[in-house]
Amino acid sequence: MIPDDLQDDAALFALGALNAEESAAFEKTMSGNAELRGIVREMREAAADIGRTVPSQQPPLEVKQRVLREIALEKQAGTSRGSATTSSNWLPWAIAALFLVFCGILAVDRARLQRELADLREADPLARTTLVTLASPNGEQTDAKVTVAWQPDRQSGVITINHMPPAGEGRDYQLWAVDANHKDPINAGVIHVDADGVAHVRFRPDQEAMQVKAFAISLEREGGVPKREGPIVMIGNV
Amino acid sequence: MSHALLAVSGIAACQRSRIELCAALGMPASQEEVDRETLAQVASRDQRAFSQLYDRLSGPLYSLAVRMLGDATEAQDALQDVFLQIWRRAPSYDADQSSVFSWAMLMTRSRVIDRLRARGRRLRVVSSMDDVNENAGSVDASVAEIAADTADRNEEALRVRSNLNKLPADQRQAIELAFFNDLTHHEIAARLNQPLGTIKARIRRGLLKLRERIAV
Repeated sequence: MIPDDLQDDAALFALGALNAEESAAFEKTMSGNAELRGIVREMREAAADIGRTVPSQQPPLEVKQRVLREIALEKQAGTSRGSATTSSNWLPWAIAALFLVFCGILAVDRARLQRELADLREADPLARTTLVTLASPNGEQTDAKVTVAWQPDRQSGVITINHMPPAGEGRDYQLWAVDANHKDPINAGVIHVDADGVAHVRFRPDQEAMQVKAFAISLEREGGVPKREGPIVMIGNV
Repeated sequence: MSHALLAVSGIAACQRSRIELCAALGMPASQEEVDRETLAQVASRDQRAFSQLYDRLSGPLYSLAVRMLGDATEAQDALQDVFLQIWRRAPSYDADQSSVFSWAMLMTRSRVIDRLRARGRRLRVVSSMDDVNENAGSVDASVAEIAADTADRNEEALRVRSNLNKLPADQRQAIELAFFNDLTHHEIAARLNQPLGTIKARIRRGLLKLRERIAV
């Protein structure tokens, strides 16, 4: 059993809240105590989870491209370094030759990477998709989780619903795209939620929706309606 | 091959067989197992695995960097540093010390703190966690699978945030001051005008509760 004061230190160590001297002393204690190391691991997991609590953001695609370029260069350099010989007579010539080869490889690799990056930009659906989380319009707390992934260039999307209450007898949920170019919300289809409150549906609005400002779900008559009549139960701005 | 690399490769072999077994049985492998296998492939210099790991981790790591640095451009530079570190340090990753996610998250925090110290700027005071979920859903995504994955991550973030918010305010405050503001327990005690022992106990109890609730 680990005493409380050591557990205190384990928590502080995991959070980086010990000073340098205390940290070094704790590391020494920890090195000979497997149970303590286990506690530190648990504390680290909890500490890292705190990092999840910040608002979610995605880095621009170019950061990934920069990182991939860097590691490709490192990998290449490592390979070249690994093949160098230690023979003293022709070492300078070998280095010069390797350097030339390395430059050639870099040039070829750069061209290849540029091609790959161009393809990546073209193919990456991430850059063309917007994710929208829907919530109750009046701010009420609800268990329902509704997410829409929308691709304007394809004019299609996917809606994922969890914990949604049943629509009720003779009723259906209906999805709408609120578009700046249309006076009325555009019908995006009836959503059938199963008995567990789950739905995962690909949808396509009835009309072209190039400037979608929001997605909304209303409660309508069974089978849906061409123009919204019922109350909005969930809405999310794009 | 180094002992560390051998160890990682050994873990990778075990993990791979378990993941394959899970797949054969139609059971999903845990995210932690998948991460470990991917990192083991990165350790053997697999760029495709590295790209997958980037896709999985970059969002949460970048979000933390933006939050702490308060500057998107600098956060992008920090993220680049972190992923280069991941590439270089993958062979020495020790699964006994932390999960891959935690390893990367704490490495990000450390790199961000280095940057803040280097520029001698005060850490941005992190605002209350009550208002952070407003932007939680507004992220890019792709088609169904990516959308579902992102939604899962957002749900996970909401769950962790909710658990953090359930902690007593004094425990939460002490933990946030340590994590986001890089204060030692001495500095936290001085700032909150509380005895050192009280602060230590608050942090330990808070982290333990957080871990218990997340593990449920």
